[in-house]
Amino acid sequence: MSSLSASNIHKTNEIAVSVRDVSLTYSTTIDRRPTFKTRVKALARGKKQTRVVQALSHVNLEVEYGHVLGVIGANGAGKSSLMRCIAGILPPSQGRIEVYGSVSTLLALGVGFNPSMSGRDNVYLGGLAAGMSREEINGHFDEIASFSELGDAIDAPMRTYSSGMFARLAFSVAAAVRPDILIIDEALSTGDAKFKEKSLNRVKELRSDDRALILVSHAMQTLRETCNDVVWLDKGKVISRGEPNQVIDAYQEFLQVGKSAAIDEDV
Amino acid sequence: MSTPLQVYEPFKAGLPKLGKYWKSLWSRRTFIAEHSKSELREQHFDTAFGQFWLVINPLLLSGVYFILIVIIGGKTDTMRYVHLTGTLFLFYLVSNSLSSGVKAVTSGQRLILNTAFPRIMLPLSSVVIALFKFFPTIIVFIVIKAVVGSAFSIQMLWAIPILLITTLLALGLAITISCINVYFRDMASFLPYMTRTLLYLSPILYEASTLKPGLRILEYVNPLFPILDSWSRALVHGQNPELSSMLAGLGWATGIFFIGTYIFLSREREFAVRL
Repeated sequence: MSSLSASNIHKTNEIAVSVRDVSLTYSTTIDRRPTFKTRVKALARGKKQTRVVQALSHVNLEVEYGHVLGVIGANGAGKSSLMRCIAGILPPSQGRIEVYGSVSTLLALGVGFNPSMSGRDNVYLGGLAAGMSREEINGHFDEIASFSELGDAIDAPMRTYSSGMFARLAFSVAAAVRPDILIIDEALSTGDAKFKEKSLNRVKELRSDDRALILVSHAMQTLRETCNDVVWLDKGKVISRGEPNQVIDAYQEFLQVGKSAAIDEDV
Repeated sequence: MSTPLQVYEPFKAGLPKLGKYWKSLWSRRTFIAEHSKSELREQHFDTAFGQFWLVINPLLLSGVYFILIVIIGGKTDTMRYVHLTGTLFLFYLVSNSLSSGVKAVTSGQRLILNTAFPRIMLPLSSVVIALFKFFPTIIVFIVIKAVVGSAFSIQMLWAIPILLITTLLALGLAITISCINVYFRDMASFLPYMTRTLLYLSPILYEASTLKPGLRILEYVNPLFPILDSWSRALVHGQNPELSSMLAGLGWATGIFFIGTYIFLSREREFAVRL
């Protein structure tokens, strides 16, 4: 099995991800749940059944090894779509994306988990879903269990977990993956305040010269502290990219909320 | 070591690079096995009662159908029961692959939206689950055959290639139906009626040799017909299956598998925006 662990020594400033003139347009059904019935009804009434969504428009971006890129923007700005394109989940409609190294995504927590199984079993399920091999999971198991702070509860079925416990285990599994390029989308706001801080520290630990990190977040203070660069997306277009404080200040001004406590808060 | 380069560009239609796709699928085999096991555990098939139910359910069904045959058709013999049980168990391999496969993609929404992996893994996993459920029924069938005093013969080994053909057919059907269900979510509601119709049109409640000449067309339009006929000849009657039936079964299975896989692979890259 191909390992997701970083196996290549990358030099700082080497290109990790290159996004060139990327646009993403897709058609999706107007009905949330498309059925034969709705299709026949729409045809009979001569109604449109799909709508076209322009999620990204001519995006150009480069991420270098040794750097942390923050991505900001309002809801629906195209942040998650861009991350999915870089991760190979969604193919672009135009342009070209080159990824030099192994990529791991932390776009959502608990992907691949089965609530009826124990936390221990889910460490393996989640790890395998993230692309780790069984040997790699065995090697990291103690670290994952200890980071999640679940104690004996790791052998209890996950359906008995509180949402905080679920999130802690899910983050611990995801944080054990050691790829060349790590994409984290709003996954730091898990658990209680103590665990949030612990998660943030883990992300800071993951910053290294031979790894590139892309961090999507609404937590502006975290981005200011962590990132080398920040890119601001709006309606699928890059509005600005540069030094974190500069870009975040411009974004906050755009939102007309200034540096309010609410937006600086980790949410 | 050189840095692995992944390039993502637009696609219009057609298939992904099959060599690369297969390599990626093969690298996920441990996950497929673990995912299938977790689904089985969710349905409690790892417990003694779960496995008991796995065996007792088709056995009860075959009992019910046998009573139905006796009531409708009058007197019948024990070989008829052996035929009914054997073919029903194999039919359930296909039926379980379909019922589990129909929602394989739509229920894998979180995986599809958040991880890059060959999507065909999901219906494949459904067929693996159906196989796990099928294997214990073979033991039950052998016990029934021994109890009624039906002879065991070397011709029974034909069951191996027939099972492989059935698995290929089940895989093709699961892949196709999982893809259709992305675009028409009520497919899952139609499925029980479709499988029930398929059951009645297959040589399960009756033997292929007893079929009226006017209904012989079923041999050609039902993919399961030649497979179940061959299965019954080999396992129940200890005869060599007819070559024409074996070839017809293989033709259907291969055709459905390739057409279904082509449709699935050419559509799977848009699943993430359709779910």
